[in-house]
Amino acid sequence: MTGRYEMAGDHDDLAGRGRRPGDVDLDRVWLGVAAQVWRRHPGPAERAAGRLLRSPGLARALVTTPSLLAGWLIATAVVLMAGLFATLGTGTPYVPLLAPAVAAAGIAYAYGPGIDPAWELARSMAVSDRMVLLARTLAVFAVNAVLGLAAAAAGAAAVPTAAAVTFGWLLPMTAVCALALAAATLAQSANVGVAAGVAGWAIVVLAGQSASGRLTAVITEAGLVLPYLAFAAVCAAIAWAATRVPRGTP
Amino acid sequence: MDDDDLIAAVNAGDDAGLRELFTRHAPWLAVRLRSVLPAAEVEDVLQETFLAVWRGAGGYRPGGPGSAGGWMWGIARRQAALFLRRRGQAELLLPAIDVHEYPGADPAETAVIRAELAEALSALGPEGSPNREAWRLMYVDDRTVAEVAELTGVPEGTVKSRAHRARKQLRAALRRREPAQDGGGR
Amino acid sequence: MNVEINDLTRRFGRNRAVDEVSLQAGAGVFGLLGPNGAGKTTLLRMMATVIPPSSGTLRLLGRDPGSYGPRREIRRRVGYLPQNLGYYPGFTVAEFVEYFALLKDMPPGRVPAAVAVAVERTGLGDKARAKLRTLSGGMLRRAGIAQAIVNEPELLLLDEPTAGLDPEQRVAFRALLRDLGERATVIVSTHLVEDVGAACTRVALMDQGKILFYGTPAELTARAEGTDAAGDAPLERGYSAVLAAARIGAGARS
Repeated sequence: MTGRYEMAGDHDDLAGRGRRPGDVDLDRVWLGVAAQVWRRHPGPAERAAGRLLRSPGLARALVTTPSLLAGWLIATAVVLMAGLFATLGTGTPYVPLLAPAVAAAGIAYAYGPGIDPAWELARSMAVSDRMVLLARTLAVFAVNAVLGLAAAAAGAAAVPTAAAVTFGWLLPMTAVCALALAAATLAQSANVGVAAGVAGWAIVVLAGQSASGRLTAVITEAGLVLPYLAFAAVCAAIAWAATRVPRGTP
Repeated sequence: MDDDDLIAAVNAGDDAGLRELFTRHAPWLAVRLRSVLPAAEVEDVLQETFLAVWRGAGGYRPGGPGSAGGWMWGIARRQAALFLRRRGQAELLLPAIDVHEYPGADPAETAVIRAELAEALSALGPEGSPNREAWRLMYVDDRTVAEVAELTGVPEGTVKSRAHRARKQLRAALRRREPAQDGGGR
Repeated sequence: MNVEINDLTRRFGRNRAVDEVSLQAGAGVFGLLGPNGAGKTTLLRMMATVIPPSSGTLRLLGRDPGSYGPRREIRRRVGYLPQNLGYYPGFTVAEFVEYFALLKDMPPGRVPAAVAVAVERTGLGDKARAKLRTLSGGMLRRAGIAQAIVNEPELLLLDEPTAGLDPEQRVAFRALLRDLGERATVIVSTHLVEDVGAACTRVALMDQGKILFYGTPAELTARAEGTDAAGDAPLERGYSAVLAAARIGAGARS
């Protein structure tokens, strides 16, 4: 196949058996067939993303985000539904408490070294690893926010006492996600990011409960808005810096 | 793996099977096509042929040795007919593919073949006569026996025998035209 | 000139992995030889714009990779095969090659044909739709080469490309290199000396961050004359001779 360039595959001289007309380039014909047979047809979501982002490569990277794949999304939905049912049963708004942790895990798993085996290669691409990380982070956050809002709104409609926290948890979620991202990029490990995000959030929630007696204290407390924002900003800056100069072995 | 197995594999989505089919059959298909089409169009026809094999492998019915080749030739021929029709040469050149093989024909030879065929076709009778019409509908317009029977208002058996007679006449006429190329025995 | 390097240095802490290297390369195949730890990978990574230099100047394809725009343009025209290339187990060979073609900003209309050419050129035509997790080490390496060449790069950087390839495949690979080197700058880093000797127009020998030799394979072979350098083959002996001389010189200085 392809004459001179064949790298000792299993078919030498693809079109050599039997006589062949000298001026018909059968190698070129096969390449034309193979191009159509092997091609992948992107789905509607990917095509739309490619047009929106003006980058088919970025769109492809986005739809292959591990935490945006069907399995992960289903797991997220299941966790939030469990929280919803717990809310219906006990009146405590569990969804706003769970959503930040789930989102943090999703964001950590959008990141490279922990789970992207071709990490080194990704750093040499025209569509840079940082762009991919940014797009994936925003997409995962948006998806988790939408799912969380839907579940929280359902909980608030069913249990009026939970209504107060329908939106307030988005800010802590931002902070927790930023923490997960900073940890993941610093340690160059998605698992560290997940651990930091989930553990950090759990600690904060329990600390708030022991301080004020309410589990949802850390979500409803107005005085925490600025600290959350500042913390998120700092973590984002850390993540940005950590992805600027690649560390690693020489 | 024999050809029938390969086609079954292709139907199941095995593209390596298609590659093997290409290795085995593209060369002789190319030779046959080259007798009536320029090289660039042979390449286009072959590409469309194997893409059609890829998509349509489910339509193949195994039928003993050579049936895979015949099936693929049928696809290639249909693709070639499309090209020839666009160039207005279907009536003259398609019979050449069927009746004779002219390996390595160049444009000058193709012109000669066309002239010979025009003469040979007139041996079938004037345009519109039964044999010639049966021939044209079946081999140029690519109709089935049933369709031709309906269009001409004759039974299928008659259609078949007319087409058969037309082919024999053409073959004989062409053999008469050509100087001792192979000394007969075709 | 596709690659113009002057006094390029890369430090990691106090260690100089690449120490004031100067190099110029146009079209052709260039071998980068040297023992492990010589700095070959670091030099290649700088040329792939994966890490920035600590000091010195680097111009790739006539552009300065220090700023975003030119760097992105360089990356569209570069092919890179790292020493350790992971793979996505669930991807097929074609999907893998296509993924990186898209990330190199290739116009989507051109991608299917380019993927087909790259896959066939590396002899993976039978495995195009096989999942990467089913492939042997040598085939995975070839898939890595395929993604590197899919965008017909003007600068091709290959770090230990022949790992896992059997001798027959290495012969075919050298033929591929020679063909690519007609139009592009191909830089192959390897510690297998004879591997690339035959395919290269020029060879650079690195040790401890410095370039000790830069010339044709014949010139490297000639360095062994008059010495009793170790090695089973001419290039290997030249290689040993140059290394030994440099280390003796360094020993004398210290």
